[in-house]
Amino acid sequence: MKQRIPLIAALGLLALFATLALAETLIVKVQSTNLRKTPKFYGAVVQALKSGDKLEKVTSQPDGWIQVKTAGGAVGWIHTSAVDVQKFNLLAVGGGLKTQASASEVALAGKGFNKQVEESYRAKHKDANFAEVDRMLLLKVAAAQLEEFMKQGHLGDWRGAK
Amino acid sequence: MRAAGRLAQAAAGLLAVWLLASCSVVEKGTGVLAGAGKISESDRQAIVKTSSAVRSTFSDITEEEEYYIGRGVAALVLAQFPVYHNDVLTRYVNTLGQSVAAFSGRPETYAGYHFAVLDSGEINALAAPGGFIFVTRGLLRRCTNEEMLAAVLAHEIGHVAAKHGLQSIKKSRLIDAFKVIGQQAAERYGPEQLSQLTAIFEGALGDVVDTLILRGYDRKYEYEADELGVKYSVAAGFAPRGLPDFLKILVGVGGTEQGKGWFKTHPSAADRLERANSAVATAGAAAKVLAARTQRFQRNTKGV
Repeated sequence: MKQRIPLIAALGLLALFATLALAETLIVKVQSTNLRKTPKFYGAVVQALKSGDKLEKVTSQPDGWIQVKTAGGAVGWIHTSAVDVQKFNLLAVGGGLKTQASASEVALAGKGFNKQVEESYRAKHKDANFAEVDRMLLLKVAAAQLEEFMKQGHLGDWRGAK
Repeated sequence: MRAAGRLAQAAAGLLAVWLLASCSVVEKGTGVLAGAGKISESDRQAIVKTSSAVRSTFSDITEEEEYYIGRGVAALVLAQFPVYHNDVLTRYVNTLGQSVAAFSGRPETYAGYHFAVLDSGEINALAAPGGFIFVTRGLLRRCTNEEMLAAVLAHEIGHVAAKHGLQSIKKSRLIDAFKVIGQQAAERYGPEQLSQLTAIFEGALGDVVDTLILRGYDRKYEYEADELGVKYSVAAGFAPRGLPDFLKILVGVGGTEQGKGWFKTHPSAADRLERANSAVATAGAAAKVLAARTQRFQRNTKGV
């Protein structure tokens, strides 16, 4: 039985370091979003967030909402679809072979298919209707409007309301 | 016992190697944690140095890249179908779409979900990657209540959430793109790399647009989107009958409509209906079609 102790200890340590190494730092991956007071898309906003902002995970819910803390100390909720978990690849330390970029590098650097590539494409394809695409992007539904719509339609938190 | 001992030794050995390797990483990681809430240049370099996972499939496409692919696909869809400009209707479809998206598996995308009505009589709905979603006037005319339209929008949000559009891009194109992108160290692309990337981008948009407008997805993706559609609309609080009720209407549509739009690119409405009915049966939701929702649907889609 004695030999089990180092095994358990080693596995325990391994798990601990795995957790530490993949420290729960989250990076906002969408252009802009909000840190919210409650885990829902309507209601009070704590502060605005944008792509690249770093957050520290506090706790998470099975429905996809994560409670986070900003570097400034503000606490609120964000949906998991808006963030990436920052992972560090331990095997790459020490200058391993590397000829390509990872998704997180590309995201951080704003490379890949980006504005420059779109501009180059547009110069060749005058028929593509980017003006209407930009027009679509202008229409925004405010959280208060969404809330009113859901309330009126007995949806979300108001389902089954009389 | 001996086996357990060997395993312990192996684990301890692995741990030692790993710890040696990981010290500097953890240091850099904490550096990131201690930062001022922004990615500084040194953080960025640290991450670039330590992260070696390379990109190989559609799931490695970043959020921002998906947005640019989606913009391009949407621009090509809008080159073929003009927008039906009706502010009241457009705002209604967007608000309804956001209500469903908020309860989907992917409520947030790089620039969010945006909806437009296409000025076309054919019965069609399309989703470009990243969340640019289109429904035709022809489709709106066939819906008789809000549940049906919510179900159609939820089906399209399902395609976006499951990244079906990105999966229609040829794998070889992605591998070429990732290679070119990975080699570039400078902030902006040089002329040669830019022209290579633009050609790949062009090809990728073509793959998606052909799938959306001409070929259609593999039917398993359509059934998946139907299932997600039922799931999302039920999660938002709609009656689960929206999708099967709409498909029932489609089953009854005949004549020249049959070779166009959804009929051309989707499995038969009868096949979908059968599966949608079982999805509804397992959803176990009790919400009923609500008069208040039907009334606002009628008010906002008047004259379409």
